[in-house]
Amino acid sequence: MAASTTTSSTPSPGQPGALRNFFTELRYDKAGLFGFSVIVLLILMAIFGPLITPYDPAAQSVVARLKPPAWLPGGSWAHIFGTDHLGRDVFSRVIAGARISLIAGVSVVLLAGAFGVLVGLVAGFRGGRTDSVLMRIVDIQVAFPGLLMILLIVSVVGPGLVTMIVVLAITNWMIYARVVRGIVLSLRQTPYVEAAEMIGCKPGRVIFRHILPNLTSPLLTLGILEFTNVVLAEAAMSFLGLGVQPPATSWGLDVANGKDYIFVAWWLITFPGMAISITVLSINLFANWMRVTTDPQEREKRFARAKAAERRRGKRHDAPAPAPVEA
Amino acid sequence: MKIRRVLSRVALLAAVSLPFAGVAHASQVTIAVGSEASTLDPQKRDDGGERAINDNIYETLMMRTPQGELVPGLAAAPPTQIDATTWEFKLRPGVKFTNGEPFNADAVVVSVDRIIDPAFASEQMSYFGTLTGAEKVDDLTVRIKTSGPDPILPSRMYWMKMVPAKYSSDPKFATEPAGTGPYKLASWTRGQEVVLDQNPDYWGDKPTIDEVHFRFIGEPGTRMSGLMAGELDVITNLLPEFVSSVPKSAAVQGVETAVIILSTENEATKDERVRKALNLAIDRKALADSLYGGYATPTKGQLVNPRAFGFNEAIEPYPYDPAQAKALIKEAGAEGKTITIVGEAGRWLKDRELIEAVGSYWKDAGLNVEFKIEEFGEYLNQLFDKNHRPDAVFVVNSNELLDADRETSFAYQAGGTASSNKDEEMAEWVKQARVETDVAKRKELYAKITQKAHDNNYLVPLLNMQDIYGFSQRLDWAPRVDAKLMVKEMKVSE
Amino acid sequence: MGAFILRRIFQGFLVVLGVTIVVFVATRLVGDPAKVMLPLSATDEQRAAFEHKFGLDRPIADQFVTFVGDLATFDFGESMWQRRPAMDVVAGRLPNTLKLIAAGLGLAIILALPLGAIAAIRPGGIADRITVFGGLFGLSLPQFWLGLLLIMLVAVKWRLLPTSGYGGWQYFILPAITLAVPATARLMMLVRSSVIDELNQQYVRTARAKGLRFSQVLFGHALRNAMVPFITLAGWEFISALAGYTVVVETVFAWPGLGLTAMQAIRHSDLFLLQAIVFTVAIGIVLVNITLDVIYKLIDPRIKLA
Repeated sequence: MAASTTTSSTPSPGQPGALRNFFTELRYDKAGLFGFSVIVLLILMAIFGPLITPYDPAAQSVVARLKPPAWLPGGSWAHIFGTDHLGRDVFSRVIAGARISLIAGVSVVLLAGAFGVLVGLVAGFRGGRTDSVLMRIVDIQVAFPGLLMILLIVSVVGPGLVTMIVVLAITNWMIYARVVRGIVLSLRQTPYVEAAEMIGCKPGRVIFRHILPNLTSPLLTLGILEFTNVVLAEAAMSFLGLGVQPPATSWGLDVANGKDYIFVAWWLITFPGMAISITVLSINLFANWMRVTTDPQEREKRFARAKAAERRRGKRHDAPAPAPVEA
Repeated sequence: MKIRRVLSRVALLAAVSLPFAGVAHASQVTIAVGSEASTLDPQKRDDGGERAINDNIYETLMMRTPQGELVPGLAAAPPTQIDATTWEFKLRPGVKFTNGEPFNADAVVVSVDRIIDPAFASEQMSYFGTLTGAEKVDDLTVRIKTSGPDPILPSRMYWMKMVPAKYSSDPKFATEPAGTGPYKLASWTRGQEVVLDQNPDYWGDKPTIDEVHFRFIGEPGTRMSGLMAGELDVITNLLPEFVSSVPKSAAVQGVETAVIILSTENEATKDERVRKALNLAIDRKALADSLYGGYATPTKGQLVNPRAFGFNEAIEPYPYDPAQAKALIKEAGAEGKTITIVGEAGRWLKDRELIEAVGSYWKDAGLNVEFKIEEFGEYLNQLFDKNHRPDAVFVVNSNELLDADRETSFAYQAGGTASSNKDEEMAEWVKQARVETDVAKRKELYAKITQKAHDNNYLVPLLNMQDIYGFSQRLDWAPRVDAKLMVKEMKVSE
Repeated sequence: MGAFILRRIFQGFLVVLGVTIVVFVATRLVGDPAKVMLPLSATDEQRAAFEHKFGLDRPIADQFVTFVGDLATFDFGESMWQRRPAMDVVAGRLPNTLKLIAAGLGLAIILALPLGAIAAIRPGGIADRITVFGGLFGLSLPQFWLGLLLIMLVAVKWRLLPTSGYGGWQYFILPAITLAVPATARLMMLVRSSVIDELNQQYVRTARAKGLRFSQVLFGHALRNAMVPFITLAGWEFISALAGYTVVVETVFAWPGLGLTAMQAIRHSDLFLLQAIVFTVAIGIVLVNITLDVIYKLIDPRIKLA
């Protein structure tokens, strides 16, 4: 973190040369860089999955069932992470599972995000009765027993990837609406939007030219954080048997399938479980870095904090008096 | 209400003071069952969770030995037939329910009348549809009437639990049972466990185990961890893979048989050669060994359970002959034609895997196979749909009464619950066998039915499943053919 | 205040009504309890009798009218799976879920306050970096996976605690930890950032300049002012746990609470029980929300209740 002070004087992304700055800044934050690298790797896995999996992830082999990972006695490098109860290659399934997780995450975030942003824009822009009706609907749906409703609907409609995406989108749009409405309301108070409206800009132009650009950064951060929630929700639903259905592959589903074998084949739940954890952790690390980097206030705070820390450290070096901090 | 609260507090105390690391008292066992009993009324539901408990509290006129042989239980001797529709039972004297009521002819009459009362709406009626009533002859003699000749009435009476004449109409009966069996209810903490202790007045041999805890654990993995951690003594439905990792295990030929029912009307499967090829294409031995780790047995060319009355010893198992299967498909001009298999996933042990494995054998024989693995409700729709039979539908049939009537009326008889053939002649035989009281003639009818279905390849019988149990190190028990968890047969050693 | 509470209660009523309609429509659309609940061998007559008994053969509109009428009297009919009033089942299981949430959330609060405060003392320091990373890590663990790992290690391998089920305090530990991990992470991050913000405020500098010790500032001002957002988030954690996030934990640990019961009801396609659960939880959430609003008002009179 101390290293990042040096970067705080560089211009923030969004301006010319942003990409290079992006990488320059990222390089100094090891955790953020780690997160970013894993995300890139995941996207590559999701896109090129079928090309890089050593085996068809659905191919069963009764003779090669429950083989341990390569480094254990009985394992072989033919199956690095071992095989599952049907003789399927766990490594291939972990790679293939990335696709479902990303598809689910991206689709839900886009669907829920698009709808939520629309509602938020309308509510914030139209104000008055429209606003209060829309926000009342948001309030009501927020107070729904979320996951129970999801379970109920899925169990009635029948589980599957599409069902899951739709249901998660339906239950997750409200936060976007709230955030966007809040920003729109505060932006409309700003002099430049007031000015734009005063000189007779059409609402469409105001929204696209003046409001949307200001929404990008908070929405991106929100979308990324929501993405991790969706990945976890997908895994949990698949684990409960209400998400992705076989023969499709998903990390949560693989943990669910593997849990009955936990005592004879720990690798069945370990690798897909780790895949979920590492994915979510990486995204969180990256989002954490990005939030700090794209928010001028946060950047300032970070700068101030680092300076304060330097000062404290310096002080302690100078004066061996009892450290002022005791807690 | 008050009593239940006190009971649950006692149970809570017991649970708190209970050592959880496997050092349990010698004469106490803990058994995991998959689902909680919804009631302890032994005549109301058809529910495994209730049965597991009540099999130890209540008893029946007829019982089975662990090997499946029908023997008198609360009856003093096997029943005698008075006429075509009347059976007479002599009752064991000196038996009492735990609430003090005597077990006598009145109790039997109430038990029969209660369960067949339409207002009572027992889910077990599918076992007792032929009964019309019972009448008392003297205190220890009772006659049971059927609507028509019913050769399997003695087997039916192995399923009907005897309830006390008076107390069974009390609303408390469903939560505070009183039976004649070796155990009685000590406490029932909803959602957690049922505890039974010994019935001090039990008429039979005193069991060695004093106290039984039934815990409700739905997840197989959780059950397994309980067993491995020494908290549980018996778990059911152990996966074959785990046999080597649990402290002890035992397997027994079960009452379930996996089968695929073929439609005789659909495009590809109406050709007898195709149906024959479907039977010959499957290597049942390999399926039993690989998927079920040897804990399943290839069927002997019929769906009828090998332990059941009516099992036809004379039929040869379908051989595994992929070459002939291929040739038959070619001969029928069915190469590349599509067969749709309707099935479900998760209800039975490795059902999806079995369906997919069978499908891949059929693909090897030259057919195109489409899998329709449906959600359970939708699967049942298709299984029971009388008008549109699927080409092939997978089901696991269960025969608790161990009589061929179960299988034949389910999958053989045209118009039966899940049959897909139009063989009126065979359907007639099934109906005759159902009412034929002459044992030899009846056996002959089942021989004819099973032989004809075998020759016409109406069914693709797959595997007889075995029930595998996991035990703790200290438990000794030989599981029963009928899958009943009889605690009085269990023993613990230290 | 009175008018405010009335308005909140009216809004709560709308929530419950919305939930009721969604649940009713969803359950009656596709699910067919007669087929799933009766044994395979049941006859058509038995199925018809079953539907008749539970009123499933009547027109949907009729069923809805009866349904809403019963709602008013808290009568959800008989659970088809348990064969006793659905509300009895719910009443029996709700306390177990509440106890689990109390244990899990209590643990989370106890851990989050000191950890967040320690991290905030020196932002960017070692303690801060460890807690932030630990928090992000905690947020990344799928609960079902964490639960299974705990069972495998703590209960089976080391035999320290029971694997599953409900009972004395030993039975609470693993499920509570599993439930607490992500909540602890979120709460801790919040404490950290609020305390950092507070410590950067002008009044803190003034107080320090006046010679107040750092610990006095931390406990006397910063942490106290961080309480409002903390309670908001803790309340949200409580609500989301109640809203179904205990389902996973209860399933893994065979914990006889509402979540596990909901899964069992789904498996038995027990519409009445499922309705009763969702309805009860919806009311619970409404009540918690109202309580939270009142608490805010009590702690911080500056808050305007709208």
